[in-house]
Amino acid sequence: MKHEQAKKYGMVIDLDKCTGCGACMVACMAENNVPFKEDETNKLDSITWMRVYQLTNGKPFPDTDICYLPRPCMHCEGDHGHSPCVSVCPATATDYSMDTGIVSQIYTRCFGCRYCMAACPYHARYFNWWDPVWPNGMEKYLNPNVSPRMRGVVEKCSFCYHRYQLAKDRAFMEGRRELEEEEYQTACTQACPAGAIVFGDLNNKTHRVHQIVQPDPAHAGRPKNPKAFRLLERLGTNPKVYYLSSREWVRRSGDHYLPHEGPGGGH
Amino acid sequence: MSTNDDKAKADALTDTGKQPEQDKPEKGNGASGSILFFFLVGLIASLLVGWVVFPELLYSKKKQPIDFNHALHVDMVDEGCESCHFFREDGSFSGVPELAQCIECHEEAQTDHPEEIKFVTQYVEKYREVPWLVYSRQPNCVFFSHAAHVRLAEMDCVTCHGPIGESTHSRIYEENRITGLSRDIWGRNIAGIKRNSWDRMKMDDCAECHAEAATKTASEGEAPIEGFFNNIIRIAFPGSLSGRKSSVQTQNEACFVCHK
Amino acid sequence: MKMDRRSFLSFLIGGAAGTTLSPLPWKLTDDLAIWSQNWPWTPVPAGGEVTFVETTCMLCPGGCGVTVRKVGDRAVKIEGTPGHPVNDGGICILGLSGLQLLYGPTRVPAPLRRAGGRGENHWEKISWDDALALVVEKLAALRENRLSHTLACISGTDGGTVGRLMERFLTAYGSPNFIRTPSMRDAYEMTLHLMQGVQASAGFDVENADFILSFGSGILEGWGSPVRMFRAHSAWKEKGVKVVQIEPRLSNTAAKSDKWLPVNPGTEAVLALGLAHVILKESLHRKEFVDFYASGLDRWKNEVISKWTPEQVEAVTGIDKSTTVALARSFARADHPLALCGRGKGSTPGSIGEFMAVHALNALVGNINRKGGVWAVPGPDYIRWPEVEMDATAAAGMQQPRIDGAGTEKYIFARHLLHRVPEMVTAADPSLVQALFILEANPYYTLSDSALLKKAWDKIPFIVSFSSFMDETAQNADLILPNHMYLERYEDVSYAEGFNKPYIGLAKPVIHPQFSTMHAGDVILRLAKALGDPVQKAFPWEDYEGCLDDTFGDALETLRETGYRVEADFAPGSGYPVFETASGRFEFIPEEIRDAGMQAMVQPQGEEPAFPLILIPFDSQRLANGYIGDPPFVIKTVPDTVLKGDALFVEVHPETAKAIGLSEGRAALLATPKGQARVRVHLFEGIMPGLVGIPTGLGHQAYDGYLAGKGVNANALMGPVEDGASGLNAAWGIRAKLSRV
Repeated sequence: MKHEQAKKYGMVIDLDKCTGCGACMVACMAENNVPFKEDETNKLDSITWMRVYQLTNGKPFPDTDICYLPRPCMHCEGDHGHSPCVSVCPATATDYSMDTGIVSQIYTRCFGCRYCMAACPYHARYFNWWDPVWPNGMEKYLNPNVSPRMRGVVEKCSFCYHRYQLAKDRAFMEGRRELEEEEYQTACTQACPAGAIVFGDLNNKTHRVHQIVQPDPAHAGRPKNPKAFRLLERLGTNPKVYYLSSREWVRRSGDHYLPHEGPGGGH
Repeated sequence: MSTNDDKAKADALTDTGKQPEQDKPEKGNGASGSILFFFLVGLIASLLVGWVVFPELLYSKKKQPIDFNHALHVDMVDEGCESCHFFREDGSFSGVPELAQCIECHEEAQTDHPEEIKFVTQYVEKYREVPWLVYSRQPNCVFFSHAAHVRLAEMDCVTCHGPIGESTHSRIYEENRITGLSRDIWGRNIAGIKRNSWDRMKMDDCAECHAEAATKTASEGEAPIEGFFNNIIRIAFPGSLSGRKSSVQTQNEACFVCHK
Repeated sequence: MKMDRRSFLSFLIGGAAGTTLSPLPWKLTDDLAIWSQNWPWTPVPAGGEVTFVETTCMLCPGGCGVTVRKVGDRAVKIEGTPGHPVNDGGICILGLSGLQLLYGPTRVPAPLRRAGGRGENHWEKISWDDALALVVEKLAALRENRLSHTLACISGTDGGTVGRLMERFLTAYGSPNFIRTPSMRDAYEMTLHLMQGVQASAGFDVENADFILSFGSGILEGWGSPVRMFRAHSAWKEKGVKVVQIEPRLSNTAAKSDKWLPVNPGTEAVLALGLAHVILKESLHRKEFVDFYASGLDRWKNEVISKWTPEQVEAVTGIDKSTTVALARSFARADHPLALCGRGKGSTPGSIGEFMAVHALNALVGNINRKGGVWAVPGPDYIRWPEVEMDATAAAGMQQPRIDGAGTEKYIFARHLLHRVPEMVTAADPSLVQALFILEANPYYTLSDSALLKKAWDKIPFIVSFSSFMDETAQNADLILPNHMYLERYEDVSYAEGFNKPYIGLAKPVIHPQFSTMHAGDVILRLAKALGDPVQKAFPWEDYEGCLDDTFGDALETLRETGYRVEADFAPGSGYPVFETASGRFEFIPEEIRDAGMQAMVQPQGEEPAFPLILIPFDSQRLANGYIGDPPFVIKTVPDTVLKGDALFVEVHPETAKAIGLSEGRAALLATPKGQARVRVHLFEGIMPGLVGIPTGLGHQAYDGYLAGKGVNANALMGPVEDGASGLNAAWGIRAKLSRV
């Protein structure tokens, strides 16, 4: 076969290590030319491809506990690539790549119907209600590898796909087709000061993501690692972002479990 | 009652009896003739507008800041196009050379060619970048990897850029007034007809070549007859024979491959 | 031939047919589609060669190494430098946003002279020559009138060449009033001075500690060098190192800790003494250290044993006595236990009693200058300029007491007491400060008791800011001499907060200056030159780079290449005398300070009936609260439970809120003895009842529209509380009242 082995890029975020500092959010914004407005306190229209949510165990003082949960796009594989957003897009603006497992979003193709936003159970998609405005001079820091978006289109995390492209270019120059694990890393992974994010190919047994989560191919990639879980596991979205936590209440808050159910015991 | 009716009938007959002799043929010919005439006028005028005037209006013509002689330069360098349009170590493609590169040879004018003297006095001496107009510049939503095409697939520059290396003068740069892009993207031919692979640089042209390559790869090792039928199946049902679809919606690599 | 209706229609049909057969409609449709997908007003970032420049971040005292990615001559991204001794590839949220400061609208574009009233923000651009001439004229006149000591400088930096040049300028000119902005560094330096007899910074070998006892230190909020602390925290998680966080609010650090002990606010030191009680009573302390290297234990032990039994500690701190006993045991039994203090990011010094109590805990377990412990890191030694030759005027000026009283009899151990300056300036007539320089600091925002500060400000006739940004202080100055921004200049970073090894970082110009700015070092040299001898004589350098060259010699070249210099195998105690006290030992009760040091608790300002609650400021990694304010990216990450529109939320326990009749999101009036502000209420189960938590870092009046006017400045509601023993500002909160509006 001419094609190299299909990749399935995924992420593991260790919630025990995540400090909620927000560096991943800003690293993402800086890398991907994410716009900003004077008032970003309405979180419904605040574009954050990577967003850190705060979870709480709901217990009263002093037993209350908090956990931070960074949420990029989950790059759901669904059932054979039928991720929720891809299957509803009428414009072929978003697609699931079988080569990388990455859900793409083409801004110039998107006409802003926002079906995908309604379909995404993770609120990972954002709509540009306004044209982006960079204060005079600030457009100088824009990254040429990512095109700035316009009003009226949806955008979301791309697992820094442009970094994949650049890494491939470098590999081609050296006469290689395959990338080493560290050659393609997302901006958030690179920035995380706690080292809480691990990124790599879930299909590749030598990659850390595979070793940490031990995805179970018989059960749509469900983690065999008892500390690992995925968000809304039972929805069947088959996401490629995994979380690790040693706290049970955190793992349980990944889905709407009934008291007698629990993560990992669902199937 | 009846008398009146008859008379009226007779009048009517007389009227119609008279007119066919004098007017009808002429009027009839004239009416259909003029309809045809105006139809033709409209047709020809709009064809003229569409084929001749519109392209003239659509594109503004710009001269390159320096009339560059590719042929002359290609003769003098060792590594062909890549002597000036080179790959960087990180796999990115340098594209149009920057002034610093030109200065390596042209710190001072080497000939008394007026264009070279203009280049040296206006740009080199003032250390000002030359505002070259790039014929192949794509809109910002396009990602194109030179490394993948030139290094991995070992294509040559001419396939997409044409025999520009043989040119002795810089062509007039025609800029689309609506899109701001070069005419070379759509192609010289306003109807979009191309004779050579480098005549157009639109997405369809990328797709065409890629489809050909994919079919060629897929049918390697197939018997001629089998290949013929398989090709039909491949065109009708993309992805069905390759064993693995490369994407869900387009069946043909997700859009991220070429778009950013 | 006449055109009638039918032939006209025919003409149109012909035209339509012809148009359809021509490329016009198809081409136009295509072009319009392309146009509508690529609006001309959407910026298209230019491509180019990608290069990387390694430099040192100067946005906080963390000293991180950063790598700037450039495309052509544009800087497009800041990333952490892999392999850097401080942050090894990691980077914090503020450091990531540096380019928004570099290219942002808050930059001061050129020297500005105030055109309207102070603070009205009307400015006139002037040339550098005119700007410097203005300063020289003013300074020459003061010196002429033997008022040189009335020049003061508030500086955010003091160890590196720029801070030292400024201090030297003041010395040669004749003023002792070089005042560094306050932080926990003041308290730690004093603690090491008193208990160990050294002039050193406290470094923490966090990577090798195996039990962390944090007295309110925001390990994950920006305490120390933030990225280094995050990395250490992750390593602790991997190794199973236990972290106990002691503070009244569930901070990020508390949430991540293995055990959170919500202690009554301001009583952390008592808990430390209670732990010492248990350790001493049960003889869990390391005798091999205490017996041979410490002195004064008996007296201290008597005090601790008699006063701070677990029962007494429970009464004061609210921490169950069995918890205290268990904690003391697990702390003392760990191999490398480490106790930390300095609240939040450590931006307020704190009481010396508290620092000494916590440091004594480290001594009890023998964890001083030892693996996993607190290390005394000597100050930078690379600046060896000749002594300033003072003329009579300078000598007379230097004889005057410092305006903040530091070093005078009452504040004999203190080196910098900025919080006292507003009071001193307001008290005297004419003002004790006739000219004020502000370097890399924003005191107009960061100093508490804003009302008093404004009064003092009005009494200072001439204020010069060196800020690169239009911060509050610059906005309220008379003249701004904008420094190059840290990505545009050379400057040595002499220290990394909390790092346990001597370290020098070098900031390098990543891109050429974007505006008509000048390096503060060059400004100082040019001022000195213009003032003439004897000031000029003290500065034998042509320009700042010449000064750097001279200072570092050959080492500068390696520093330029690597970006930093670190004594990797530094170990205090081998090569460095460990304890330089009179006894040569670690002092549990330093002679100089005696019982005053046992005054562990500092009461908040305000009286109970009028102010039934206690307001505690809290720090967050997403809210910069020092010299630099939040850039747009960072303010964007602030949750809507902290800021919504322009309204600030304060955290209140649901029971406390219910008693006042407040529910989630309700507007309220927050009043303290120092001021009042309208806020909204966020109910939080993670804050102790009876407290009001206010986030720091908001309420800016300056900077840009992304930051200005949002929320409330916590400093405006707070006031300094002077620690009796040290004079340092030990305020950790203030009494407050929250009422419905």
